[in-house]
This record gives sequence, structure tokens and C-alpha cells, in this order.
Amino acid sequence: MAEATKVKKLFQKTLFGVFSLFGFIALSMSALCIYTVDTHLSEEYVSNSQDIAKTIADSSVDIMLNRNLAALQSLVDQFVEIQGIKYIYITNETGEFLVHTFVPGIPDEVVSADPMNTAPVERTLPGMGDFVEVGAPILAGVAGTVHVGMDTSLIALKIQRAIGRQIYLISGVFLVGVFAAIWLVNLAAKPLSALLAYAVELARQGQTTAEPAVLERNDEVGQLARLFLYMARQNGGGEPAKAPA
Amino acid sequence: MQHRNSGESSPPARSLTRRAALGGGVAGAVLGPLARGAGVAGAGVTDTEFVLGTSAAFSGPSMGLGIELYRGAMAYFEHINRQGGIGGRRIVLKTYDDGYQPDPSVRNTMNLVLEDGVFLLFGYVGTPTVTRVLPMLKLFQNRNVYMFFPFTGAQPQREPPYGEFAFNLRASYRQETAGLVNNFYDVGRWRIAVFYQADAYGRSGWAGVRAALAERGETIVGEATYQRGTKFTSTMRRQVEILQAAQPDAVICIGSYAACAAFARDAVDLGLRVPIANLSFVGSENLLKLLTEGMENSSQYTDLLVNSQVVPSYENVSIPAVREYRELMARYDPAPPAHMVSEPYTPFPQSFVSLEGFLNAKLMAEVLRRLDEPPTRAGLERAVFAVQGFDLGVGELISFGPARRQGMQRVYYTVVEGGRFVTLEDWDAKFAKT
Repeated sequence: MAEATKVKKLFQKTLFGVFSLFGFIALSMSALCIYTVDTHLSEEYVSNSQDIAKTIADSSVDIMLNRNLAALQSLVDQFVEIQGIKYIYITNETGEFLVHTFVPGIPDEVVSADPMNTAPVERTLPGMGDFVEVGAPILAGVAGTVHVGMDTSLIALKIQRAIGRQIYLISGVFLVGVFAAIWLVNLAAKPLSALLAYAVELARQGQTTAEPAVLERNDEVGQLARLFLYMARQNGGGEPAKAPA
Repeated sequence: MQHRNSGESSPPARSLTRRAALGGGVAGAVLGPLARGAGVAGAGVTDTEFVLGTSAAFSGPSMGLGIELYRGAMAYFEHINRQGGIGGRRIVLKTYDDGYQPDPSVRNTMNLVLEDGVFLLFGYVGTPTVTRVLPMLKLFQNRNVYMFFPFTGAQPQREPPYGEFAFNLRASYRQETAGLVNNFYDVGRWRIAVFYQADAYGRSGWAGVRAALAERGETIVGEATYQRGTKFTSTMRRQVEILQAAQPDAVICIGSYAACAAFARDAVDLGLRVPIANLSFVGSENLLKLLTEGMENSSQYTDLLVNSQVVPSYENVSIPAVREYRELMARYDPAPPAHMVSEPYTPFPQSFVSLEGFLNAKLMAEVLRRLDEPPTRAGLERAVFAVQGFDLGVGELISFGPARRQGMQRVYYTVVEGGRFVTLEDWDAKFAKT
């Protein structure tokens, strides 16, 4: 066993190299995957939010002009049922809140925000969570602005799920690669172990009692075994041996 | 959420509903166009029945509203039916439960119009539900589907683009909130805060308060919201704290009874001692019941309540319609719609909501009487506009026209005295700011 262990040590560096290479590939692929998924999904959510805000803004014009705030609230309530949208509010041209979906009240952070801003803004609202807020002007802003808040924790959860699936795949490939490397190394080490055992026996006794299978191999191990046998017979007597092929 | 077999106050009538569903649905869909072409009664009408359809809250935290409105209407319909109906036709009310939620309400309306083929929609409950259904009426405008007397004072069914498909009896939330604001203002309570349901109903009332204050150069000093469906057991501590910070002289609540009772309870417990006003939709008796039953020192929760109403007090028997209502409610005592009310509910002998349902039914019967023969949906608008100066028995003459789609305009104010709501006679004596 000690000899066998020594033989396997020949491959330790190779195995380490293989593991390191697989690990590097897995980590770099995961990092790239996280970055790509995170960026794309975040952009998609923001883009969808802007589309929703624009849709509300476009459909609000007549209702706003009719000052029918109940109908406007009803419209907004339908959109807030969409997954990921946590709040919607509409301000008029003076910044007054006309409709909103906040319970129990409009957060101070929202009250103090610029009501005309339509660029994406990240907000942390106490007791509610983290949000990306986007806006869309109604009649180019002269009638007001629609603001839509997307729940970033939900976005993060979706991103985590997407990334998780990618990492599971990469980890699976990594594990299969590692086990395959170990199996291949062991496959390569087995004839070497047999050759070592044969060489040790030749060295101790000058000959072997039976013809070992290692002499029958057609590969380099077989050639070495036959060379060891030739050399042993040259040095230790017995019937002359043919030089190994 | 949907229950197909109900709408009647007695088992025989329930079987009529089933027949009406078949008659109205199948005949209306298959034979309707042929029948109309032949000049006979249209969808939802047979030789023996007018089939009306409703979707209302018969479950959930606002079930009391749907049940009481239904009971009041059925008291009058039952009375009419026992007298032989209108032109020999009984009035059948096909009923669905929407739990005061918009989506079920839309589905129920689809069923009522497309499958059941009802003659008209009657007695819907709630702003968030009705505002979602209104676009369907526009969609069905070629079928002349009208909504009669919904239990909501919101503006969408009173204004373009959907006002032409609905007829209202009650005063609007705009009128109720304007009355409350003006009366508070007159007794020196200028700082008005609003507690409201976070939906179209709450927004409608909020807009009314805002508009009334704007006329006096004021603004809402504080506002807090709650989710529709909130129960009495929920805490309103945060909402009270938000409004307390605004230091209001009065709070106007635009909500349903469970949430408004919870708010009134927590306001008193947290020391917000200002008048708390509620709109008619709240369901005054259910509100009072929650604030008094099993509550210690319950009078402290009700001392400063003031509720606006769109019908007179059912205690005022000097009013002819109230006398008739009390008599018919006592005679028929309509049961809540069977198979639909899954939670225990004890009806009130009389209530503002059931009185409104009763008046709705009475005016509905009058409109049906004025239909030409054979009755068709297309003839409904003309029949409504034929109602001019009609005495419903509440001291206010009812008229309709193309520019007048709301029958009553009057708002009444009530406070709690002796464990019941009575008419408020003197705002100054009760609520003057000291």
C-alpha cells in the first residue's frame, strides 16, 4: 500500500492543477453569470417599470382632466396588482399627491422627494423595504407625474434564483470534473502500482514465481516490466532473456 | 366567491331564480334577438318575471352592507310580488357574492349579463367594485345594460364617460363630505384630517373633502389609509399616530364599518379626542355594534361620532316611507341570501342601509311600472326619464333626466345617543370647538 500511495503522489500536483483549473473556471463563470443576470434583470425591471409608468401616464390624461380621482385610483389599483410593483403615486403639476397606494400613509422620504423627477431613483422606505422608483410625465409634465415603485427585494430574489440555477449547474459540472479526474488518475496509477510491485519483487528475489499480468501489457508499463525482467536475468543468471521490444 | 342560487327571501322564490337563470340565460342568448325582432319582451323579462341581477358583499368584513341592502330591497320586492308583481311580472333578484372585491364583481357581472341575461343590474355595493364594472357597461352598450342605484356615492357612475350607463338614487360622497366639512367649519373646526380606505372609495371621499376645503381656502391637514378588508381586530395605532401628529380638529373617515370602528377605538385609546365623522357607506349600525358590544366604557368610543346619512332616520316615523319600510321589514323580515352567507350574521330589524335598499327597490318598481309593453332594456332609459317629481315618501321629490341621473340630494347627520344613531339637531351644541 505504501508503494501504491507513493505512486499516486506522482499525480497529486496534476490533480491539484485540475482542481484549481476547474475551480477557477467555476468561479469566473459564476461571477460573470451573476453580473450578467443581475445587470440584465435589473435593467429589464426598470424598463418594465418605466413602461408601466408611461402606460398609466397615457391612460390618466382624460381622467385627470375630468378630475375623476376615484377612477384614477381605480386605474392605479389595477396596476399595483402586478407582481413587483409595490406602490404607485401620481402628483399634479404643483407636486400635490392626487392618488397613491401607500398604507398607512405617504412616507416622509416620498413626500420630500422631487415630484417632477422621472429618472430611476433607489429608495429605502422604513417598514416597507428597498425600491427602485421610476416616473413618467403626464402631458409632458404639465398635468403631473406618475411614479412607480418596484420592490428590489423581489428583483433580488428573482436574480438570486436565476443565479442559483446557474451556480448549481456550474457546481455540478465542477464536481463531475473532479470525480472524473480522480477516476482517471487512479486508472493511470493502477498499472504503475503493479509495475512497482513487480519491480520490488524482482529486486528482492531476482525472479518471480509466476508471470505477472503486467508483462503482458502492450503499453509503456509493459515495456518497463519486461525491461526490469531482462535486467534481472542479466544480473542474476537463469535462462538468458531476450531483450525487450 | 360566486353563488348562483339565491336572491330570494323564501324557498319558492329561490326556485324561481333557477328558472329565471335558465329562462334569462338560455332564452336570452339563443332566442333573445329573435324575440326582440318579433316585438316581444327582451332579455331578462318573461311574461311572469323581471329578472334583476346584483353583485354585492355577502362575505368578508363588509358583508353587513350587502346583507342589509339586500334585505331592505327584498322587503319591498316581496311586497310587490305578493300583490301580483308589476304588470303580472314578479321581480326576481339574481344574486352573487363578490366579497367587496373588484375582480369577483367583474366576473359576476359577466355572468349576470352573458349567462343569466338579466334585465338590469341593481343594488351593487361599493366603489372599488362598481368603478371596475362600469367599463363593462360601456362594452355592453349595444345590449342596453344599465346599473340602477348602486350603494356608492362615488363620482365615476355620475360623470362621463360612464355616467350614462348608471342611475343613482342616493346623494354623492361629494355632497356628504362637503356637508361634513362645512358643518365642522361652521363650528370652528377648520383643521380636517382624513382617514380613508386605500382604494377608489377612499379616494372619492378624500377628493370630496379636499374640494370642500379648497372652497374655503383650506387643505387636508393630515391623512392616513388602511387596506380594504381590514378587520375590527386589526390595530390602527399607526394611522392614529399619523393623524395625531397633524393635530386635527376633526377626522373624516371614508371606510367600512370594521376598519372605521377599529380606528375610532384606537383613536380614543390613544387620546385623539376629536369628532370622528363617517360617511353613509360605513354601515352605522354595524359600526355601533362593534364599538359597544363587549366593550368597557363603550360610550367614550361613540360620544364624538357623527355619521352622515343619505336617507332619513328610520326612527322618524313621521316620514311616510319610513313607516312603510318599518311595516314591511317587520312583516317579511327578509333573510340574508341563502347559501351565500357563510359567517354568522344577525340582521338588524331596521338600519340606514336596509332603508336605502328599500327606497332603491321602491323606485326600481316605479321605473318598471313606467316601461312600455313589451318591456325591453332599450326602453329603460325612457322609463327612468319619465320619473318626474315622484314622491318616494321621504319628503324629497324625485326626478330624472339626461343631465340628472341622481334622484336624491339631501344629506342627514346622525350622532349616537342612548345606544342608537339619532338625527343631529345642533352642530354647535355638540361639536363647537372650545
